[in-house]
Amino acid sequence: MLLADFGTSYCKILDTAIEEGPRIVATRDLDRAFSADLATGHNAARRSRRSINELTALARGGSELVGREDFVLLDCGSRDIKFVRFAGGQVADMGWNAECGASMGFTIELLSAYYGLDYASLPVPQTGFSITCGVLGMSHIFDAVVSGVSEAEAVARFVRGIALNAYRFAGEPAELYLSGGLCDNPLFVGSFPCPVSPLGRFVLLDGLQATLRAEGRPA
Amino acid sequence: MGERVGIVGVPPLAVIAELNRRGDVIVDLDEPQVAAPMDQTATRIPRVYCAILRTVVLNCLHLRLDRVYIDVGPGKCDGALHVAEVLADMLKVPVIPTRNQDDLPFGTPLCTARMPLMDKFSRITHSVQSAAAHASLPVCTPVCGFWGVPPRDFSLLAPFPDATHVFGWTRCMENKTPADLDLERQFDPNIPTVFFAQSFCAKSALAQHLAAKHPRALAIDCDVTPGSSTRAKIEAFLELAGIEPARRSAA
Repeated sequence: MLLADFGTSYCKILDTAIEEGPRIVATRDLDRAFSADLATGHNAARRSRRSINELTALARGGSELVGREDFVLLDCGSRDIKFVRFAGGQVADMGWNAECGASMGFTIELLSAYYGLDYASLPVPQTGFSITCGVLGMSHIFDAVVSGVSEAEAVARFVRGIALNAYRFAGEPAELYLSGGLCDNPLFVGSFPCPVSPLGRFVLLDGLQATLRAEGRPA
Repeated sequence: MGERVGIVGVPPLAVIAELNRRGDVIVDLDEPQVAAPMDQTATRIPRVYCAILRTVVLNCLHLRLDRVYIDVGPGKCDGALHVAEVLADMLKVPVIPTRNQDDLPFGTPLCTARMPLMDKFSRITHSVQSAAAHASLPVCTPVCGFWGVPPRDFSLLAPFPDATHVFGWTRCMENKTPADLDLERQFDPNIPTVFFAQSFCAKSALAQHLAAKHPRALAIDCDVTPGSSTRAKIEAFLELAGIEPARRSAA
């Protein structure tokens, strides 16, 4: 069975018949004819035989991976952020910000390419910009660079601001689990003001598998 | 022959009763009545403003009305108070502000009945136009709740099951006590509940506040029409609460 998480920038694909594990394909490189059996993500309805809601997949995948009654899971994608909060083993709250929190992951990736920066080598800055989205935050970078701050420091402050905004969006939890491609960005993960447990970028695929298992189908 | 009278919010019962007695045609200006772009209101009212009140202005730009009653008291909002000024300058017909503080409860049979939520909201908002007593309806056992005002776009309500109880200002509307804050802040903590406010509405603070108190809540807002993320949030919230979202069209 072919499972897919169709992200804005990257698609995560799992063929349950083989043991290689999930693969990542840039969305722009994915064969136009590709169709999954079960999928989630913004293109899922068009590119699969059956689709489920991203928040549902996130919650089910998170519940399987975390295995706790109470926790907060934040997913930072290319163009949006989502969170689910579990209390007593049930979803107590959730959010999906595709407007004001837009383009965070996309902008962070764009900036590293534009300025030629490696996030693994950037220390977490002392302060961050107060920003609400990737697009609006860009002007802070340009202003800081004009005022004499190095490009690397300005981008690091931007990333820290993005992380803080996402943390507030998730309800300022005492600790949080993180999902999505930004789990691999040490500057981003280190910028949260609380302990962070990265779960990687396949949580939604785990949610699809959990859906199949709940239906008594092999996953 | 009766007049065509526009109403905004819930005017006092005495006003509605008089309109009913005269046989006037009541036009609910809070609801979309014309198929015209919302941006036509931009010179009269800011774009970043309550979509309900922008709809009121859009309706007034296109409809032939003989009078307008606009409730501007604690049963509506400050936005309506200021839009009343806009309408008074914009229209050549009388714009009559009211302050509905009626406290005679008419009951809320629709809010607790079993029926498609879009139909329920249509009937509740339509009930504002009549001073007659409500017909009684059996109370259903709720599986979820919807707290808030009637949304600008009723398609937001499509995913909810028929056994959804309605709370918030919509309940105050049906009860014909729109300024009853005690009734407005009631919710049922035993059922998963969506707390809704129009974007840029003062009630969004109450929605967020009550949602934080509720053990299983989702707070949402939406402007003119619900976006895909708003719809997805509602669907996921229902799904994860063990409720299969209804797949009905928003007709």
